[in-house]
Amino acid sequence: MAGDAIVAEELTYRYGELVAVDHVTFNVAEGEILGFLGPNGAGKTTTVKMLTGQLRPKDGKATLLGMDVAKNVDKVQGEIGVCFEETNLYEQMSAVENLRLFARLFGIGRFDADALLRRVGLGGREKDRVETYSKGMKQRLMVARSLVNRPRVLFLDEPTAGLDPTSSEAIRNIIIEERKRGATVFLTTHDMLEADKLSDRVAFMDQGKIVALDTPHNLKQQYGKRALKAKVSTEKGELEDREVILDTPETSNDIQQLFSQEKVVTVHSEEASLEDIFIEITGRGLQG
Amino acid sequence: MNWQIVRALIAKDFKLYFRNRFFALITVLALVAYVVIYFVMPSMVDETLEMAVYAPVLPPILEQAGSQGLELVLMESEEQLKEAVIGGEYLAGVVVPPDFMDKLMSGEKGRLDVYFGTDTPEELQDSITVLLEEMAYLQTGQMLSVHVSPEVLGRDMVGIQIPMRDRLLPMLAVIILMMEMLGLASLISSEVVGRTVQALLITPMTIRGLFAAKLIMGVSLAFVQALLFMAVTGGLNQQPLIIIAALLLGAIMVTGIGFLVASGSKEMTTVMAWGFPALIVLSVPAFGVLAPGTVSDWVKAIPSYYLVDAVYQAANFNAGWSDLWNNLLILLGFDIVFVWLGITVLGRKLR
Repeated sequence: MAGDAIVAEELTYRYGELVAVDHVTFNVAEGEILGFLGPNGAGKTTTVKMLTGQLRPKDGKATLLGMDVAKNVDKVQGEIGVCFEETNLYEQMSAVENLRLFARLFGIGRFDADALLRRVGLGGREKDRVETYSKGMKQRLMVARSLVNRPRVLFLDEPTAGLDPTSSEAIRNIIIEERKRGATVFLTTHDMLEADKLSDRVAFMDQGKIVALDTPHNLKQQYGKRALKAKVSTEKGELEDREVILDTPETSNDIQQLFSQEKVVTVHSEEASLEDIFIEITGRGLQG
Repeated sequence: MNWQIVRALIAKDFKLYFRNRFFALITVLALVAYVVIYFVMPSMVDETLEMAVYAPVLPPILEQAGSQGLELVLMESEEQLKEAVIGGEYLAGVVVPPDFMDKLMSGEKGRLDVYFGTDTPEELQDSITVLLEEMAYLQTGQMLSVHVSPEVLGRDMVGIQIPMRDRLLPMLAVIILMMEMLGLASLISSEVVGRTVQALLITPMTIRGLFAAKLIMGVSLAFVQALLFMAVTGGLNQQPLIIIAALLLGAIMVTGIGFLVASGSKEMTTVMAWGFPALIVLSVPAFGVLAPGTVSDWVKAIPSYYLVDAVYQAANFNAGWSDLWNNLLILLGFDIVFVWLGITVLGRKLR
């Protein structure tokens, strides 16, 4: 069984009086993808900053690959890759120059920037200045930069936010490849479908606390409601929606009633989404 | 400290600096402009005073005036003299009536009309009046009943006055250093605003390495340009080692100030807003060199005074280590203070 790549114990951070992260405890196994979800201001970024050595916890302890982050910042930062939410590339340098700079900072002597750029779909534009790139291309370069040192732990903050489907898919594929390589991925996102599709487990954070942490399947089992969605035709010939909640004592009767009393046009089952579960747990949506 | 990382950061900073069209252009153009300014400035000091004279009968004493540093230019009429003075050709014009000598010889009081241009300084008007009175005494043989013992305080510059362009030299060198301070501050603030520094700090690079790179980059950019300027203008012909040492210390000082400016700035506009007041204050000692007497002793409280003074004394008066060691030592003290302050304040912002 793989050990833990990330361990957070009672991790706490305050900005003055405001408790941004409140005694958070969790672990992420090596090779696991953890989806880290929560609305803006929930404390996700502050948590990531403590895990990556950018902030020193006020209380508690963060351990990464067995090293106390606060005491071994340099060593920890040599083993991680971080892709920030906001683009922070050297725009007046080319993609190759950006990657080579970071390779030097990681002490990598022989570094094949072209191969990495081809991998993220930027082959052919590697010598162009980043300022001429589209948002999607910049985001792919941000991901590429986080992979320069072949990190054992990869922190990705909204890596697909605002991207076109092709760019998003390319980045998702890279995340899956990195997991196959053995990297642990800490994925912060607002995209519930993405989190559901990629994550082994998801953590919901709200008001500085982890309010739920489990596999998407278990969370859906525990908090979600499966439903049967149907479209029925009325006497006037118009289509209307009907919903039957599954897994309740009344389910059988409700289904029988639907088919006997209504003219059912289409029918399909629907699982609860992670967003539904977050609302169920916190009483509010993820966009807040 | 990992010097491989520091080297990579320095290379990156130079690349970014010269890829910024504004800074690349301003660096090259400013250097050329300063050299041009130096060479178009007068290289000689004209110590003679030209004065227009209309005298139908020229008194003998005025004929000898040329040897006193006073050059008299004879006019053909009083009207021509007035026009020349009004036109600014001469600072003053003297009309000597035809009977002037006769009156003096007969013991009567002679009259001289002296005309001054509107912009002739009052001190000069007084001097010319006194000079004419003295010449009248000499002419009549009645010497003043006082003995004047002239003494020049400090270096006697009669005949060896410093040409304007050599007075300008330290000022231009200091401006070059300070312009680079703005460039460095802008580069740093753009890294903070663009959050690229956040990406750097998530690597094994330390904040000490980052500051080492910025310090080396800022100092070399400022120092090399100032040195180049001094070399091209012949400013290193005397006491080159002292001038190099002073410029190096000056470059370190402006880099420290650049850190401070960057810590209070968010983009180019705020860099200018903080940087220009600093630039103006640091330029004040240079004005004291350009126009002695315009600044008082408080100028010594401005750190750049010790840089300007060291460069000026060494380049123009061949002042040596024994004359300037205290300037360089004080400058070193200011370097330590500014670099420490800059690193502390900016470091807090970066963290």
